[in-house]
Amino acid sequence: MTKPDTNDCTDHTNDQVSPINLGFVPLTDSAPLIVAQSLGYFKKFNLDVKLRPQNSWSTLRDKLQTGVLDAAQLLAPMPLASSFGLGSLKVQMSVPMVLSQNGNAITLSPNLCDEILVASELSKLPFPLPAHLLNAIVERRTKNGKPALRFATVFPYSCHQYQLIDWLKTSNLHHEVEIITIPPSEMSKSLETGLIDGFCVGGPWNAKSVREGTGVTVLTSFNIWQDRAEKVLGTTHRFYQQQPETVAKLCAALLLACEWLQSLPNRFEAAKMMADSRYLDEPIDVIAPSLLGSCLTQQTSAPQSVAHYNRFYSGDASVVNAPSLSVQQWLLTKMVSSGQLSSEKVAPEQQRQILANIANTECFERALTILEKA
Amino acid sequence: MTQPHINKRNALVHSDDKLSILLIDDNEARASALILALEHSRYQISHLLSSGASLLKKVDELKPDIVVIDIESPDRDILDSLHTLSNFNPKPIVMFSEQEDSDTIRRSVKSGVSAYVCGNADPKRVRAILDAALARFEEYQNVKQALAETKYELEAKKTIDSAKRMLIESRDMSENEAFHAMRKMAMDTGQKLEDVAKTLISMLKTIK
Repeated sequence: MTKPDTNDCTDHTNDQVSPINLGFVPLTDSAPLIVAQSLGYFKKFNLDVKLRPQNSWSTLRDKLQTGVLDAAQLLAPMPLASSFGLGSLKVQMSVPMVLSQNGNAITLSPNLCDEILVASELSKLPFPLPAHLLNAIVERRTKNGKPALRFATVFPYSCHQYQLIDWLKTSNLHHEVEIITIPPSEMSKSLETGLIDGFCVGGPWNAKSVREGTGVTVLTSFNIWQDRAEKVLGTTHRFYQQQPETVAKLCAALLLACEWLQSLPNRFEAAKMMADSRYLDEPIDVIAPSLLGSCLTQQTSAPQSVAHYNRFYSGDASVVNAPSLSVQQWLLTKMVSSGQLSSEKVAPEQQRQILANIANTECFERALTILEKA
Repeated sequence: MTQPHINKRNALVHSDDKLSILLIDDNEARASALILALEHSRYQISHLLSSGASLLKKVDELKPDIVVIDIESPDRDILDSLHTLSNFNPKPIVMFSEQEDSDTIRRSVKSGVSAYVCGNADPKRVRAILDAALARFEEYQNVKQALAETKYELEAKKTIDSAKRMLIESRDMSENEAFHAMRKMAMDTGQKLEDVAKTLISMLKTIK
């Protein structure tokens, strides 16, 4: 009695649809996944996708590596780390598309902000804050024998880590500041209790800290890196080889969601979907701002406009979403310059092979073809 | 066993005769079961609830040989990041098990246990601890699943009952007629009885 699916994209060779477990860490830039699910884009391509929220990046990685998850939204440097076996098993990953660019920000404790204002004799912090305004603070702490400034990011193999280092590097402070890892949900509390002086994290956690009055956002990742890959879709290379068509369809559905997110009115609707307890479970007033290009800075100040705060799509699919080799090469240079990977350790030929396997342009092209036919 | 080594404890941080285990688990019952299982060995177990950022300080104070942690704990990323610091170098158990069968890794991830080996603990002894942890975690996973299934069945029964009641009231059916009508619908559409009940409830509500 059930009507057969008349959709053109049905995979006729395999009518049995087995569920796809798609993992993610609930964040503002999980929008493409949540939109694709809420608007039925996965179903459109005859996919039965189960969204599986995870509490930590390490667990997300382990579940993906062991096949408990089939695919996942990953921090852009994670596929490289996994493929080189940094901090985990060595499992070759495949990235068929980029899901988002930008989206992170650096937030400081109100105490540190006061110190900066006093030291630099300013009445208001400039936005974006130049790192050199921290010099006087670092010097004074060293002179008085106080502990070094301590910042937190969410994971060692994250853009957050490299963005923070690059920002500090502009004033040669990257060896003067301690950087630790803390889960996003702990950041606000850790600022408040003085465990850390600042953090680099994605949405909605910066906005949340500002609304709570525990932090002051002083610049976004867009002010450090312009339009660089932040989150990517990842599968193991093995899973892709087993089910290339499934992965291409996943990309097609997610590309539709990214395109849908280009429109500003849709962005507010996305914020509403994500506020749901199954996803971010946070109030809309902390989720919506960054999606609308607004960076909350301080409880008492007006927000700053950062048009590309969260970028999911632009013009045509290739601009933001193509999983190009150059994206991987860029991330690799950051990994090497931050001391996580020594380039001599891996033979150039092997390195080229690993990178080429990650940048799955073949699958991306296939997804575009599927979309053209749809 | 005791060799006349001067300051053996100090010379070897990870001394051979006592492995210290840090167990981070919010499930108190599971934690006690694991502690009990390892009680007769010479392991020294400290138990912690998920402690968030202060975990760093605790790990630094206790300097455990092995950390066993619930895989769903957000604190995992803190532990995972520690291998990038020089003073403390925990290896995720999955790396340690690399030479072993990948089935152990998969089982560990599925049952919810993750573990970190810090320093040079003897793989055989770590293996014993991991096995005990796996057994306990799996046991609790099964209990949890059984509980979830019971809860789900109860919910389904409740939904079916209220759909039946609505049919009886609005369509003037007997209880038997209402049940048969629903069962026929389920069979015709190839749906579960519970799903038919859900549809009926929302339909009857809008008609009202």
